[in-house]
Amino acid sequence: MSKTYISRHPLESRIPADPGIRAVDHLEVPQRVAIATVMAAEGGDAFVAAALAAAGDLSLRFVAPGEWLALSQLDTPEILQRNLSLLLAEAAHIVDQSDGRVLLRLSGPNVRRILAKGIATDLHPNVFEVGTSSNVLCGHISVNLARTGENEFEVIVMRSFAESLFDDLKTMGREFDLSVGFST
Amino acid sequence: MASLISCPHCGTRPKEEFSIRGDASVLRPDPEASDEAWNDYVHIRANPRGRYREHWQHVAGCRRWLVVERDTMTHEVYSVTDGAVAAREAAR
Repeated sequence: MSKTYISRHPLESRIPADPGIRAVDHLEVPQRVAIATVMAAEGGDAFVAAALAAAGDLSLRFVAPGEWLALSQLDTPEILQRNLSLLLAEAAHIVDQSDGRVLLRLSGPNVRRILAKGIATDLHPNVFEVGTSSNVLCGHISVNLARTGENEFEVIVMRSFAESLFDDLKTMGREFDLSVGFST
Repeated sequence: MASLISCPHCGTRPKEEFSIRGDASVLRPDPEASDEAWNDYVHIRANPRGRYREHWQHVAGCRRWLVVERDTMTHEVYSVTDGAVAAREAAR
């Protein structure tokens, strides 16, 4: 007997289908992002780091020494997994997390003031530079935070915490009329 | 309590991101060691007022175990080392 499974975004019930008016500070939720965790095999940290850095079409997020999240906005999860396996072979363990993690993109002039309500890490532009990424605590939830632009941050959170974090971010952004919506 | 800990991997972070896992100065005795030695290792702690070496785990960050040397009275943090690095240094 074959079963048909429907893939649902965990925030589908929270985000209205009609996006409404986009404010200057906006929380954007891309629906299809391929995400994989890459963990270097013992002693292989340097090799894996170099190989990942050389693969230009990946977006990389630092998690821990020898551990990264690799993102691709263009590839499907299967292709990302295959590309990473070809690139790293036995040097790393690769696990697809596309359905296990949720990506949220915050942008706008007040983005730091919004994030500061939940994150105690120093996010000053000169300290947390563009391209920096790290695991941080947001409220009570551990998330991966990355600065992807001048006033743009991306947050990756575990699927089961996504709704809770989403509600927190909306509360944190209410002062600035933060608007939310799926990527179009 | 020291409220900011500088993780060698993640940078300066609030203590809420960490979990304190106890005295880092005790050494695990030989499996054949006396009950006395094992009792000391498992249960007996000094609780000093002053400088103290502790295991801290960065649970909300890189999840690495760290060895934090701090003062329990003044809250001053003297050093933070990755647990693996500290173990390698101790073995030397």
